[in-house]
Amino acid sequence: MSKPFTPRVARRFIGKYQPRLDALEKARGRAVYADDFANKTRFPDMLYAKVLHSPYPHARIKRLDVSAAKALPGVAAVLTYQDPEVAALKPTSAGWTDGVDTVSYERMMWKRFRDRRVLGDTAHWVGDDLGVVVAAETEEAAEEALRLADIEWEVRDFVLDPVKAMQPGAPLVHPEVAPDNVLPPDPVGGGNVFLDKGDVGAAFSSAEVVVEADAAYHNATQCSLDNWCCLVVWKDGKLTCWSNSYEADQSRMHISQMLGLPLHQVRVISPFVGGQFGRGDTGEQPFFLFTALLAKRTGRPVKFKHTRRESFHDSRQPAIYHAKAGARKDGTITALQFKSVGNAGAYSDHSMFALKFAPAEVAEVAFAHIPNLRMESYGVYTNMLPACMMRGVGNSQLNLILGILVDVLAEKLRLDPLDLVVGNFGHQWAAPPDKSLKAVLAEGALRIGWSEKRRRPGGRPAAKAGELRRGVGFSFHPGWHAEWQEARRGQIQVGIKLNPDGTVMLEAPTVEIGTGSNTCNVLGCAEALAFLGVTPDRIQFSNVVDTETCLKDTVQTDSAVSFLQSEALTVAAGELKAKVLAVAARKLETRPEELELSDGWLSVKAAPAERRRLTDVLWNGDLVPIGVTVSRPPSSERTGVPFQANFAEVEVDAATGKVRIVKLVIVNDCGTVMYPTGAEAQQIGGQCMSVGETLTEEIIYDPATGIPLNFNWIDYQIPTMADIPDIEPALLEVWRGAGEYGACGIGEGVLTCTPAAVANAVYDAVGVRLSGIPFKPEKVLAALASEARP
Amino acid sequence: MKGTIRIQVNGVWRELVVGRDVEPHETLSHLLRERFGLTGLKLSCEEGACGACTVAIDGKAALSCMTLAVELDGRSVATIEGLSEDDPVIRAFAEQCEPGYGTALQCGYCTPGFVMASKALLAENPSPSESEIKEGLSGNICRCGCYSGIVRAVQYASRKGAKGGSR
Repeated sequence: MSKPFTPRVARRFIGKYQPRLDALEKARGRAVYADDFANKTRFPDMLYAKVLHSPYPHARIKRLDVSAAKALPGVAAVLTYQDPEVAALKPTSAGWTDGVDTVSYERMMWKRFRDRRVLGDTAHWVGDDLGVVVAAETEEAAEEALRLADIEWEVRDFVLDPVKAMQPGAPLVHPEVAPDNVLPPDPVGGGNVFLDKGDVGAAFSSAEVVVEADAAYHNATQCSLDNWCCLVVWKDGKLTCWSNSYEADQSRMHISQMLGLPLHQVRVISPFVGGQFGRGDTGEQPFFLFTALLAKRTGRPVKFKHTRRESFHDSRQPAIYHAKAGARKDGTITALQFKSVGNAGAYSDHSMFALKFAPAEVAEVAFAHIPNLRMESYGVYTNMLPACMMRGVGNSQLNLILGILVDVLAEKLRLDPLDLVVGNFGHQWAAPPDKSLKAVLAEGALRIGWSEKRRRPGGRPAAKAGELRRGVGFSFHPGWHAEWQEARRGQIQVGIKLNPDGTVMLEAPTVEIGTGSNTCNVLGCAEALAFLGVTPDRIQFSNVVDTETCLKDTVQTDSAVSFLQSEALTVAAGELKAKVLAVAARKLETRPEELELSDGWLSVKAAPAERRRLTDVLWNGDLVPIGVTVSRPPSSERTGVPFQANFAEVEVDAATGKVRIVKLVIVNDCGTVMYPTGAEAQQIGGQCMSVGETLTEEIIYDPATGIPLNFNWIDYQIPTMADIPDIEPALLEVWRGAGEYGACGIGEGVLTCTPAAVANAVYDAVGVRLSGIPFKPEKVLAALASEARP
Repeated sequence: MKGTIRIQVNGVWRELVVGRDVEPHETLSHLLRERFGLTGLKLSCEEGACGACTVAIDGKAALSCMTLAVELDGRSVATIEGLSEDDPVIRAFAEQCEPGYGTALQCGYCTPGFVMASKALLAENPSPSESEIKEGLSGNICRCGCYSGIVRAVQYASRKGAKGGSR
């Protein structure tokens, strides 16, 4: 049974268990998503767009004839790569649309890797969209028209394995960017060796104990239920786009610059979005542009929506890691070395974020006390599905190898791995033991029953066939994006307007993708407006972001929105209070300094007993609402980060190789828990997703043809309710960041540690090391068999 | 196929001319969403794997993406729009905040399907055990992973008597 969280500081609304504020609207099916908006009953003259997908992993269109497609009844327009408005489009990079900050074409993060054409003539993976797009009266007609396109293909050699792709003579995927398929060093990611501290070579030579480990992270994918969708109307020079992207302002910039429209002529509207999980950062953004071109050409609203099959358009960055650790016998780690090869797939997107940028951030906040450290990575193009962003980008991959490496080292040193971790890891703002790290590990150990269940280090025999054994394991990780990484983010914009009847209009635009930051915003607003005595039900908040009427939206990325907007709201509330006092003073013919305002009551300092309702005062004379708008950079004052930990108990059947997760404990130190019900939902939800990544989810290819075989939810197995173990969430407030709340987001980190915790629990149970997720029965059986061999 | 069919949608009989108001190959989900504007049911996999399009046909949960509209001739279909705001299952999903279990929904995309499936489950078995709930709702995917909260919500609705509330 779970133990409810108790806040460190008692507040009115922040830190309280309560329902989500949008829950009734959603439970009634009344929340409108992009696909619901782009509906025939709303837009009777709407057309449907469909795009051609390559049947080959690597091929170019040599000759194209679309005359039969154009002649098909019901077809309104056919656009191809040969049309001038398509051919004129600039090469781009999907990484552009990662919207931490609104960035221009010139300032996009990976501008050296502009490897995408919108509707180009060359395919780089099976399923790549290219060549032809059709708008028709029905989806069936659009699909039929694509089948009628007469195409002569130049089929090229392809490569799927990143290690093979690095070898001389391998087929080249984007020779213009990477002449040897390896993404070149760049200013953002750094060199191949992107971190080199101390002297790892010397440290390993002099270490008393050296261990090595391997881990391979695979290609799970986001699987948001709300498939990519947009509706574009382009009339009289103005373009309006309804979309289920997780960002609005950045989408406006993207469309504006790619189509050559001024910003004020592009309007992007994002209603509710049915899940994001990183898909919005990557891949397939060209559909906004070709849908827009079809809308312009036809003069009608055009809808584009991915099918489930098309929604498999990018995956987590696969990474093959090898790592080495050196230590003294007393358990002091003297050196760490990580090397990875990542399969970037057909487009680079944010691969180097996952392979270099994110691991470098982790090193800064977790490996600060390891004197010798070397990190090296290679992102390699292949003809597979592009890979990069998924919830917990780069961190999940690094955590799998880190968690296993720590367990291997502890085993060799005959130490409890908990002690090894506490003694060595942390950020530079505190010497080990880090209080937060120590607290999350202690809490998790208690809840899983570590001291009773974990076997003593050393001498564990491998399980014999037919045995059913249990084991426990854990992993840990630094928290995500406290004020830490905020220096590179753009300004956060929020607005508060007080109506003369005391109700409040809150503007804190952010696309509602499910995280609960909308609830957090309203609670944070009510908290900050304690001087008005306003309750959340008297605050109006819109879940629809519209670039024509809203401030810039804070993008749903980096697990950061709840605390970013809440902190900005505390500043806005302070400014609002000053304005309210000025207005009240004018109406009462006094000076603002003479007035006190508390809980919605006004009084004169000289006579505090004679108080009156603020609304009675405001309801006089002109009834103009009092408003403030704040635009400010997030605090980037550095105070370190909190930690999180995952503990797993598993049962392994040595006869079948099946790994059953019995229980998962997820512990997060949040600094301040803004909204505990939502935070626990994130913790539990993260475990559900990571159970899939750990045990069942993977994209499988036919190596002979390069065709992905399981782009559907029958063969790509997402856990259902029946597959989920007992999950226990634990929220702590130990560390504290800067600002009113000093909070740290947890949305992404919650699934980071599960695979390593399970791998270590499997070792504890049956004595074999698994290195590549998902841990399917055949891998467990193979590992047991190889252990049994003399 | 030609002629006219009759379908009761949320209690109201509708006459549809085949070939004009409904196509022979048209799915029930398409009819409900694109012709009647009942967009509460969601289309995600459109191949019977996710449960987001779940509706009730003659009181039993059914996948509207896997059902042809013309099969409904003479039968009734209920969608989430047909439930009242006070429906105990809807309330239970909306209000779940019992500590330790999170919410029963996050992005909300799967929720109407889960609510309809839960209604049908409780109609058949008014007091399901935890494992019966997990088994009964295992045809629905919640990618946000609100499974713990959903189990609590269904248990709560069961205690409140989930049969009432539908129109």
